[in-house]
Amino acid sequence: MRKFLAVVKHEYKKVVLKWSFIVSTLLLPIILAFSTIVPALIFSIKGEPTRITIVDQSGKIAPRLKENLSAERMSARVEEIAKDSLTNLDASQQEQMKRSAEQFSTPFVFTDYNFAEKSLEQIRRELGEKITAKELEAYLIIPNNLDAVDAKYEFRSRKAGDFGGERNLRDALNEAVRSERLAGANISEVQLKNLSRNVDFDAKSLDEKGDEKDSDSVYIASLIIGLMIYILLQIYGQMIMSAVVEEKETRIAEILFSSAKPFELMMGKLVGVGLAGLTQLAIWIISALVLVGIGIAQMSAAGMSISIPNISPLMVVYFFIFFLLGFFIYASIFALIGSMVTTVQEGGQFAILPIILLIVGFYFSLAVMRDANSSLSFWVSIAPFFAPITMPVRILGETPPFWQIALSIFVNAVTIAGLVWLAARVYRVGMLMYGKRATIPEVWKWIRQS
Amino acid sequence: MSENNTTLKVENVSKQYGDFTAVENLSFNVRAGRVFGFLGPNGAGKTTTIRMIVGITFPDEGTIELFGERISNETQNRIGYLPEERGLYKKMKVQDQLRYFAALKNVSQTEADRRIDFWLERMKLSEWKKKKTMDLSKGMSQKIQFIATVLHNPDLLILDEPFSGLDPVNVEFLIEVVAELKAQHKTIIFSTHLMETAERLCDDIILINKSRKVIGGTLREVKASFGKNLIALRAFGGESVLEDKSLVTRIIEHVDEKEIELNEHADAQTLLKRLIENGAIISKFEQIEPSLNDIFIEKITETNA
Repeated sequence: MRKFLAVVKHEYKKVVLKWSFIVSTLLLPIILAFSTIVPALIFSIKGEPTRITIVDQSGKIAPRLKENLSAERMSARVEEIAKDSLTNLDASQQEQMKRSAEQFSTPFVFTDYNFAEKSLEQIRRELGEKITAKELEAYLIIPNNLDAVDAKYEFRSRKAGDFGGERNLRDALNEAVRSERLAGANISEVQLKNLSRNVDFDAKSLDEKGDEKDSDSVYIASLIIGLMIYILLQIYGQMIMSAVVEEKETRIAEILFSSAKPFELMMGKLVGVGLAGLTQLAIWIISALVLVGIGIAQMSAAGMSISIPNISPLMVVYFFIFFLLGFFIYASIFALIGSMVTTVQEGGQFAILPIILLIVGFYFSLAVMRDANSSLSFWVSIAPFFAPITMPVRILGETPPFWQIALSIFVNAVTIAGLVWLAARVYRVGMLMYGKRATIPEVWKWIRQS
Repeated sequence: MSENNTTLKVENVSKQYGDFTAVENLSFNVRAGRVFGFLGPNGAGKTTTIRMIVGITFPDEGTIELFGERISNETQNRIGYLPEERGLYKKMKVQDQLRYFAALKNVSQTEADRRIDFWLERMKLSEWKKKKTMDLSKGMSQKIQFIATVLHNPDLLILDEPFSGLDPVNVEFLIEVVAELKAQHKTIIFSTHLMETAERLCDDIILINKSRKVIGGTLREVKASFGKNLIALRAFGGESVLEDKSLVTRIIEHVDEKEIELNEHADAQTLLKRLIENGAIISKFEQIEPSLNDIFIEKITETNA
């Protein structure tokens, strides 16, 4: 037992103390934090208010526009935009940037200016001078005839990059003009809003008890979990393979085998690297939870409700079990490959086999997501190699009866026992053969002989 | 040879790899507190035999007993094995590496740390304790590997070509350390094809070739059994005595001396007496033993034929 623990500790430290591990473990939360918190921080630093002069030649628009740009109306608008960006996740990056800029744009302060009896040219010149003298940031000239085909609304501003403010102004202006036109047609703003409202499409799926649940969040959570398992298994599988090849290349294998049982060495390696993987996963999950928590707190402070997929603690336990099953299955396949080849590059060619299994499993999980109760979903969530990816997705979609989960765990545990037994055998014999890659008949002979 | 005096007992051991016979019906004993030379050309079956002793592979037939027990994971802890093909983790620090090897031999960490300090000091490598192995020279790595072999204070040391890659100063140094360990009543199996070193160090030897034992016993016995009566002679006169076929069977002329093979019924004393009586002036008269190298070459050529 002491030897086994020594191997576990050695393998764990070897992975965790590597620079690449430390960097990749910390990088993800940092990137996450940057992409969520930093923009919010920067835009929340309110700039100086924009001093603007409105030259309303028609005399009908300015009061409405000023009202639309008032502080209360602006914050109501910000809230609406925030809600909108949550439901509309597939908006482009640029669009999202613009929206967040809009949320945090600076307020307007109106400066009076007497334009009576002055020509358009004179107005432009005088206001231009005020801007140069820094008495003013922007001016807006509203034409006399609002509905003329060539009616132009001139907006000139010193703040070239304040597209948020510009957009706010444009929207407020549009609204004000539209209200004016509606008033002309005897339709009130409220009436229009009521007539053009979208229907409220409430899509929810039902679970086995007939209770409602949110199908969107299940879909996203399944995708994330399936992808996460797939990526982690691939990374850590390859890590095990190179660890095995390294011992062979550096000729340490002979010392190891003269000190401990191959099974202890193999199992210790799998457990050690597995623990390193869990460490990384734990750091990622905790930091993601913290960031999501901050986000939720911010949004509920803004008076919004968000739905999180309904994940029970039992589900978390299941995910954990299936993650471990998957890890041991794929890690032992990678270890098996590592013991058969002589260099990491050579191993890379064979690593395609477990990766194909993983990809197939991932696609099966998409099928399971579509219909968690089909007979295909049943079989692939029991089958070795695929169950570790498909079963968690199935549990999330619709938790199957306990006996199916137990059967799946049993089948995969037996597969692991077989694979580790096989890998330990090939490991010992294969590790002592230097210089040439083993052929399949040779490997078969090793298994029978040792 | 009494039972409790025997460290290792190899009896009728055979090992096959497919159609290839690596070791065939091999038997020998290694006595406690002695240096045992395990000699033979490349591919003779030395490494296979050693791997069976350290429990990496197991014999198809025959038995191996160490300290009166069958080979097991328990006996592994009492062996220090320095393989011919040996390495270290490149990116690990010397100290961490040695700690790991010690832990694999069931040594507690505090005890391991104490011994690591002792041995690094002894090998004059203390300042390298926190360095990574890839920064070490080849000779230094060899010494670290030697420390890994003795760290758990094993009763049996198996050294497979321990001096390869070492400069003469370090070879002498390691020989000194091996002598110290022998003085502590450790048993040492020493595998090599450097006959000069084997001749200097070994009390007992076994020579194997083509997976079989060729000769074995104490170094004295082996040499005596091989005993050709050879004499190196530098003398002026006495030619008539050397022509006597009842005394001398063969003369090999060297530049300034003769190598004389005595008739098996004659002895050196009679030859010396006859030469003096004949008025020969003798500046050198030395009975020469066959070197281990001669025995090795002759026996190997003989069994290969």
